[in-house]
Amino acid sequence: MENNQEVLLKVENLCQYFGFTKAVDDVSFDVKKGEVFGLVGESGCGKTTTGRSIIKLYDITSGNIYFKGTRIGAGTRSYQVAIRDAKEKMKTASPEECAELKAFIADQKKQIKRAKYDQKNCDKEYARKQTEAVKEKYLPLIDAANGADKAAIKAEYKNELRKAKKERLVTKIQMIFQDPSASLDPRMTVKEIISEGLVIKGERDKKVLEEKVYEMLELVGLVREHAGRYQHEFSGGQRQRIGIARSVIMQPEMIIADEPVSALDVSIQAQVINLLNDLRRELGLTILFIAHDLSVVKYFSDRIGVMYFGKMVELASSDELFKNPLHPYTRSLLSAIPLPDPEYEKNRQRIVYNPLAEHDYSVDKPTMREVSPGHFVMCNDAEYQKYLEILK
Amino acid sequence: MAKKLHVENLTISFHTDAGKVQAVRGINFDLEQGETLAIVGESGSGKSVTSKAILGILAGNAIVEDGEIIYDGKDLLKIDEEDFHKIRGDKIAMIFQDPMSSLNPIVKIGRQLTEAMILKGKARQKESRTAFNSYLKKIKEKMIEAIAAGDSATASALAEKCANFNKFEYKHLELEGAYNVAHDAATTAVAEIEDMLFEIEKNSFKEPVFRVKRVCKLANDSIETYVVNARAEELKAAAAAAVAAVGAESKAVEYTTVSASLETILEILKEALDYTAPNFFALGYYVTFSGQEIPAMSVEELNVYMRKYLDDNFMLDFIADAKKAIVYSANVTCDNKKAAIACLESYRHVFERENLNKKECLDALHVISKAVKATIDPLAITKDSMVYTFPVGLNTEIEKYFNGLVKNVKEQKRFDKQTAKHEKLTARGKEPDWQVIAASLVDFDVVKGNMLRQIDTLIAHYNEAIEALATRDFDAEAVAVIDYLKACASGYVKKVTKSMAKERAIKLMEEVGIAEPRKRFNQYPFEFSGGMRQRIVIAIALAADPDILICDEPTTALDVTIQSQILELINNLKRERNLSVIFITHDLGVVANMADRIAVMYAGKIVEYGTSADVFYESAHPYTWALLSSMPDLDTNEKLDAIPGTPPNMIYPPVGDAFAARNKYAMKIDFERQPPMFKISDTHYAATWLLHPDAPKVDPPKVITDRIARMKAKREGK
Repeated sequence: MENNQEVLLKVENLCQYFGFTKAVDDVSFDVKKGEVFGLVGESGCGKTTTGRSIIKLYDITSGNIYFKGTRIGAGTRSYQVAIRDAKEKMKTASPEECAELKAFIADQKKQIKRAKYDQKNCDKEYARKQTEAVKEKYLPLIDAANGADKAAIKAEYKNELRKAKKERLVTKIQMIFQDPSASLDPRMTVKEIISEGLVIKGERDKKVLEEKVYEMLELVGLVREHAGRYQHEFSGGQRQRIGIARSVIMQPEMIIADEPVSALDVSIQAQVINLLNDLRRELGLTILFIAHDLSVVKYFSDRIGVMYFGKMVELASSDELFKNPLHPYTRSLLSAIPLPDPEYEKNRQRIVYNPLAEHDYSVDKPTMREVSPGHFVMCNDAEYQKYLEILK
Repeated sequence: MAKKLHVENLTISFHTDAGKVQAVRGINFDLEQGETLAIVGESGSGKSVTSKAILGILAGNAIVEDGEIIYDGKDLLKIDEEDFHKIRGDKIAMIFQDPMSSLNPIVKIGRQLTEAMILKGKARQKESRTAFNSYLKKIKEKMIEAIAAGDSATASALAEKCANFNKFEYKHLELEGAYNVAHDAATTAVAEIEDMLFEIEKNSFKEPVFRVKRVCKLANDSIETYVVNARAEELKAAAAAAVAAVGAESKAVEYTTVSASLETILEILKEALDYTAPNFFALGYYVTFSGQEIPAMSVEELNVYMRKYLDDNFMLDFIADAKKAIVYSANVTCDNKKAAIACLESYRHVFERENLNKKECLDALHVISKAVKATIDPLAITKDSMVYTFPVGLNTEIEKYFNGLVKNVKEQKRFDKQTAKHEKLTARGKEPDWQVIAASLVDFDVVKGNMLRQIDTLIAHYNEAIEALATRDFDAEAVAVIDYLKACASGYVKKVTKSMAKERAIKLMEEVGIAEPRKRFNQYPFEFSGGMRQRIVIAIALAADPDILICDEPTTALDVTIQSQILELINNLKRERNLSVIFITHDLGVVANMADRIAVMYAGKIVEYGTSADVFYESAHPYTWALLSSMPDLDTNEKLDAIPGTPPNMIYPPVGDAFAARNKYAMKIDFERQPPMFKISDTHYAATWLLHPDAPKVDPPKVITDRIARMKAKREGK
């Protein structure tokens, strides 16, 4: 993967706390346009929460999320903490320092305001931009046209304007959920399920909707006849295809696939993975692939981030990660993969990861460091040197 | 290795609104002692249905059409619910896929673990009592027949011997029962004291008064002749001191006196627990019949002395008599077996006829059943399952034959009618939205063949037994009989109290790898993580100490690291307890590590069956190939070889090979006839026409051969 590719999604110091539980704690990564970024880790390590925070199902605690350069999510906690620390310092500081700190606090408060505004209004801003674009495109046309043409263009302009007003930036990111039967409404037909997003977005023309639904069904390997059925009439693999069609119809630029194959049979898994792979190639999609099955993640992803207890511990291209796993947790994870070979399996040794025994972080706190180009590991100084030795 | 479970021609369907779904279609397999059999297949292939049939928990709309599941001399498909209670959970246990839904969310883990132990404990007590009484009665009868030969004086002497045996056995139980109670009190007290001392040291001693009193009561309870004898006074004093001190001492002085007293108690109890248990069996005899006090000597000496006393006065004599009874009974049954062979041979022709006669068959069955029943040795401890199930099996076949006479006509009529209707509609250019359900006719040749085969195998079995008679070791058998009686008797003195169940549960929790079991014991299921919950479910399954463990997708809901831990755990437990495991999964990758043998199922049939090396390295069925090549491994880069389409609708099972429609290698015959099981080696079978000598030679897909080569290189490289 080349480094100069456009960054589509940028996650900066993302924190998501639920009360005292730090579900996601200071996670940063970039997803480049057109790549598949895999997130792995055991259940409860925060990979799903990361995905859901990105799509704004949760309000994040702190950190920034940029999509196509626009900030779509921002948390305020880090600024609040900074202000509190500054106030604490002011109690003992000299007058000059006090002035400096005051300025700092004012700056932080401004940041908070901005973050809150972005968090709330990023979609509005986007819709405003879209409507402006539509206006720019149609207004000259309307002026130029006359007679019957003018009325037709005016009608079209009105229609487009209404749709543009409902544009949301976040809908450019779509999600595929783990359990296909739980994520589809049992009382809606497949057509209703797939077209629901477009309807909300303001598409009223039934013919257009129908055509789009058929197109999507064929794209994901189903047939037109399926449109009138209910989800219970389908097998697990087909349901997952419906879930995929539902997200692809919104013409997303990015898909967050949250364990899309974990609930499926092995043979169906392969079908769904092949489908995602084809879609990615045809539509140029970017995919954030969340899974715990490492063989699948390795096969599917270009780069992989390993998470452990809310923190990203290692991030590298998938070949590099499997060739040179550095963090002890990654190594333990890799040693647990079962392979279809009885002789090999009998001798496989599972490495047990015990964070307290592996690391001594009492003095030197770990940070994310780049050990080789594109390969990041969470480590402190001593470990960094050790890893460099290993890579040699 | 001993065969534990034998499944033959199991056929199960489900009644649904849309029609009859054929879930399992005639599968056969064996499960041996201490081995793991993996059943692999897609959802809907009938693997879970098979396991549920073994456990007798099929859904209400299921119909068992055919087949038998033989376990411990019983056909599990034919026994009633009352008998199943003794097997389910007790002998055959199951681990389900989703641990959260198989645990009760509002009951504490500890209660869920001990519930079955306490309930089963009571049932087992009752059961062993009946077993003991009935066996003693049987051996008395046989002894009298063998030795007394009509002499009433000898007969009554023998009867008295048995009565004496019964009498001192009761004394034995009384003594051992008291010992057990005291021993358990001591064990619990030791565990509790260790906890308390630890808490005192950490300054986190909670509820001191209550707990110290409780533990001192336990310590006092454990004072019994053979548990704590020499230092009983000391123990009592220490316990009294602890109780007196605990009220007065506070955190400030850190319970110095209390902990000192507790340590004394701990030391005494630990020492007591190290003693060997006395031979209560012999002791019981001494106490009942000698009329003297138990001599004061160490337990070891006492054991030797008592053993000798028992042997001299009673046991050797009794064993000799028992041996005579066993030899006699064996000879009688041997004669009966010869008679049964003659009977079977003379009636064999009834089942050979072109058209069977119902009355003749039933009469023959009646006579044969009588003859076969007579060959059951009442003194045999292990049951001869073949003899027990023979009459029922033969009866089923006969019923099938004569029901088939009526049913076949009806079925054929229905089929013809439906076909005609279908053809008429198609001729008119319509496309009916229904299919003709294939006629399921009874094949009379197969049924007759089954009858004759059953008779022949039984004859062969009898001949074997008759030949083996000369080499049987009757001395050993007589001793085994006494041991069996002893085991039965001690079964009903083993009461399971709440505290005992708790101790066992905690031990189990440790065994399955749950840290801090004492604390975890009082938590609710939602306080556990997924992997821990699955461990609890495994612990519950193991609580009854089963013979067979059925794991139905135990790791599908778990992630890689936890999955690997659970698999290791099941493997270790299997090795330690010599369990037989049936492991059901859809993921072939998981079973490579676990299985000794693998059965691959598709559309209700076993399509390939072999050792794990056979299936992974020399797989022969296209479905196995497809499964293996559809999963990516760490070196896969090319497009995955997905299996196209979905499994067939089992309301209308295909005429030929069920996999044909999705099979790249399908030939014409695959759509017309079902392939039989072809034998590849002694352990390896596969049902595909590709193995027919006339079939074109097809190599397994390159993905698989490449992977095998690559893995081999990797292994050797290590």
